[in-house]
Parts: sequence; structure tokens; C-alpha cells
Amino acid sequence: MIGSVFLETLKTTWKQMVYWGVGLAAMALLVVIMVPLFSMQDMRKLLESFPPVILAMIGVGGDLEIFATNEGFVAIGFFGKSALIFAVYPVVMGMRITANEEDSGTMDVLLSLPIDRARVIVEKFLAYGVTCIGVVVLIYLGLHIGVIMGGVELDVVRLTEVTFYLIPLMVFVMAATMLIAVMVRRRTVALGIVTAYVIISYMLQTIGLAAEGTVAEPIGAVSFLTYYNAGDILQEGFIWPHIAGYVLLSGILLLASLYRYERRDIAV
Amino acid sequence: MASAAVIEMKGLSKEYGSGSSKTVALDNLNLNVNRGEIFGYLGPNGAGKTTTIRMLLDLIRPSAGSATIFGMDIRNDSVEIHRRIGFLPGELSLWDGRTGNQIITYVASIRGDTKGIVKHADELAERLDLDTTKRVRDLSSGNKRKLGLVIAMMHSPELLILDEPTGGLDPLVQQTFHEMMGEYRAKGRTVFLSSHVLSEVQAICDRVGILRDGELKAVESVEKITNVEFNWVDVTFRDAIPEGLPQQLDSMPSITDVSTNGTRVRMRMIGDFDPLLRAISGGYVEMLQVEEPSLEEIFLAFYSGDEEKRQ
Repeated sequence: MIGSVFLETLKTTWKQMVYWGVGLAAMALLVVIMVPLFSMQDMRKLLESFPPVILAMIGVGGDLEIFATNEGFVAIGFFGKSALIFAVYPVVMGMRITANEEDSGTMDVLLSLPIDRARVIVEKFLAYGVTCIGVVVLIYLGLHIGVIMGGVELDVVRLTEVTFYLIPLMVFVMAATMLIAVMVRRRTVALGIVTAYVIISYMLQTIGLAAEGTVAEPIGAVSFLTYYNAGDILQEGFIWPHIAGYVLLSGILLLASLYRYERRDIAV
Repeated sequence: MASAAVIEMKGLSKEYGSGSSKTVALDNLNLNVNRGEIFGYLGPNGAGKTTTIRMLLDLIRPSAGSATIFGMDIRNDSVEIHRRIGFLPGELSLWDGRTGNQIITYVASIRGDTKGIVKHADELAERLDLDTTKRVRDLSSGNKRKLGLVIAMMHSPELLILDEPTGGLDPLVQQTFHEMMGEYRAKGRTVFLSSHVLSEVQAICDRVGILRDGELKAVESVEKITNVEFNWVDVTFRDAIPEGLPQQLDSMPSITDVSTNGTRVRMRMIGDFDPLLRAISGGYVEMLQVEEPSLEEIFLAFYSGDEEKRQ
């Protein structure tokens, strides 16, 4: 029956989704309720006193003015370098699409049933994609509870945009993880490559931000994290070309995974 | 006219690696399994049994050759084939955090007709004395194996492919399994099972194929392949081996390969026990053990016999 793998994947993952979502939401709530404790003027002076490298490492680049606002504080405190944390959940889920099942041997049982490999991948990908949305919704709720609890004035529209912008980022990371796992087969090797990919992307993004206005700035463009810049989103809202880029690349990675998985042996 | 063969393998080969690291897991396998028979696929570990089975299920792809099941190509028509077969892997892994019932429902939902399949699964679980309310991680290896059998059989497939099906099952459940296989055969269904347990093969198989180092060495009826009349006999004396006994045993035409170890004598014996019992009556026999030959030994005996006949 179409949708069986999708539903089973949701059934077996919803608890992890809630744990991750609640954890991240608590973190978001904490950052929001801390906003009244800081003077944004002092924050601006503080940020101006930092060299560009340090600002880049905490995910701040471009116009510092935007970060000396309530929204900017939340962006630095939660969305800035937390993008690395947001990358962990989709990596975990991406590994589950094929690598974990092959490693444990359950993929042999699943693929001995009347279901083709493409359907297994697509249904699992969609289900884990839904859980990514679930995590982001929980984070959004956490932010709003923080706003209510702390009586903080925040631009709700911008906050919504910066939060839901996480979805294409997470789906992209999940698709990249899935492709790497499909290519290399061995779970531990795949996990090592994905981890290296995320860390190198972080470094490249930091170099790109720190080297703004220099010849080294384009290096940052190679990093997938560059296209999730909380400061830019706070200023411009949804940056549709970046979102389209994530979606397009995710689609390409999914198609590449389907192509490769259809042609290779299932590991034991 | 429809072929009687349910499984047809033609020149099926599987190689891993390349150059000097190339390993041939299966070499040019030609084998048919007919409708309504229980076919035993035998061989030592690493012979290529699981490789064959995983290729039939389209989990791994052949390096050369082809195979059909129900006349359909194992690769192009795998979904349709899988609809009509049941499979139990040798090293069964199931979703640890799920209960037997949840897994049964999941598998049934993929197969369609959930209600009918689950009902039959309940009957099978009852017959195998399996508690399907427990999580897989809480099941013993034997009970996990039972769950695997239920999953393989719950949709009453036309063909069962079982890799070492009774490993870890207690003797009573093995007996139930043998009965179930008999019922399958009676209904005209087909079973392809790999095993290295001689008694199991003798009890349920019609024909066997012997695989060694990736090559199919023989396909024979069970009667023929297991009709090797020798056993290994161990005699343990309480005090000491009677003087001259090893030499006496060596000189007996029905006994070969005599060896001693302390107060124990081991030998390979053909035919009746009476001459041996008379020979050992001079000492106090503490224990007498008779061990049936391994499949490898039967295989060697079977073929050395054939070689002698040919010469």
C-alpha cells in the first residue's frame, strides 16, 4: 500500500522529533526571555568592539545595526551559529533513510517485500522531511511562548520568516546526508564524511563572513550555511533565490540518490 | 506450456572487488527448483548460499547470468515476484523498538490486504507459540526467528525462500516447522531453503544442491545424497584402553581412521555395530557416542565414492 513506509517512519520518529523540538524550543525560549536583560545600545557597542573574525564566528556579518535590535539579539543568540545544531537533526534523519537500515540488516527484510527501492527512499525522505517541519514548528512555538512570558516586543513576521527558513536548510542537509550514505554504503564512513562536510561548511562560512569586502569573501559562497544568514533574513525577509537553491539542490540530491540506490548492491 | 520450474538460474555469477582483490562468491550457477518441491541448498559457511538468495531477492545484482522466478526476471519484475514469495534471512534483523504485532501490521500494510494477512499471522504465531506483544529487543533469538517465520509465511506465499530457517529454534518448534513445510508441499507450494543441518534436510527436503566455494557441485535427491553409511564412534573407557585394541580395530574392514586420546578411542565405522561391541568388550566402557557425519564429510564420501566408481 502506498504510504505504508511513510506512516511507519512517522510512527517510529515522532518521539525523537518531539524531543529535539522541545529541546530547541526551550533554548529559543531562554534566549527570548533574556532580551529585556540587555540594553541594545550596549549590545551595539559590544558588537562594534569585536574584530570581524569573532563576529563571523558568532554568525554576525554585514550591517551591525540589525543585530542591535530585539530580533537581532535573538538572531545572534539562537539562529546565528545554532544553524550547526539545526544541521545535526537532519543528519541523524538522513542516515536513517538507508544507512542505518542497511547497517542493521532490516533493509533486507523491507526490500524483500513488494516495494521498490525508489518508493522506500521517497517515502522515508518525505516522512523525515515532515519531522523537520515538526521540529521547526516546535521551535516557533517556543519563541512565541518566550515572547509572551518575557513580554518582549519582537517583529512576529520577521521571527516567523527566520524560523521557517530553517526548513529548506534542514531538508537540504538531510538530502546531502542521504546521498553520501547511498554513495558510500557503510554507515560509519558516511557519518564521518557528512560530519566533515558540515564542519568544513561552517569554517568556509566563517571565513567568508570574516573576509567581507576582500578577495577571500567568495569562499563563503561554497558553504551551504552561508545561505542561511539570520541577519540577512531579518533585513530582507525570505530570500527566495536562496530558498529555491536549497529546494533545487535537495531535489537534485534526491534524484541522484534514487539513481545510485537503484543500481547498487544492498550492504549487509 | 508453462515451465515446471519456479526458480531458474542460468549462469548466475557474483564477483566482488577487482584485480588481485577479486573474489568469486558464486560461479556460473545453473539450477532449477520445481513447483511443489522443497529444495535444500547446502554447503559450508562462505560457499555462496546467502549470496545466491540475496541475488534471487534482487538485494544484490549478478555480475553475470540471469535468473527468473515464476518466469519473471528477478531484477525487472522484483516487486511482482516479492508479492508472491516469503523470505527469512539467515541473520534476521527486525526493528528493535517495535512489537511483533506492530511489525506484522507494517509488513501486512505493504503487502496490502492487511486484515486477512494479520489474521493468518495470528494463527501462525499461536502455532509457533510466539508472543507478538513483546518488543523485538525483548525477544530471545529463537523467538525472533519465529517472528521472522511468521512474517515470511503470513501471506501464504507460493514460494518460500528461507536462509537457515531453524537456527536457534528449540526442537519442539523445529518439529512444528517441519510439519508446516510438509503442509506447504502438500498444497503444491515451493520451498527453497539453505541449511547445514543434515537431519533437517533429511526430514523435509525432496532434492538438495550442494554448493562449495561458489560452485554447485551436485544436485541430487535427498535419499541419494544422504545414503552414506558411516558414523563417527567415540568409545571412552573408565580405566585404560585395552591392550592391542587400536590395532585390532584397525584390522577390521568396517572401521577406519582409528585415533586415541587418553582413555578414548575414535573411529569411523561403516555397517553394523556388533563387531565393534565384541571388540571393545574386554574393557569397561564408560561412554559410547555415535555422531553422524557432517554435510562436508557426506559430500566428500559421496564424491570419493563416485570417483572410485568412475575409475
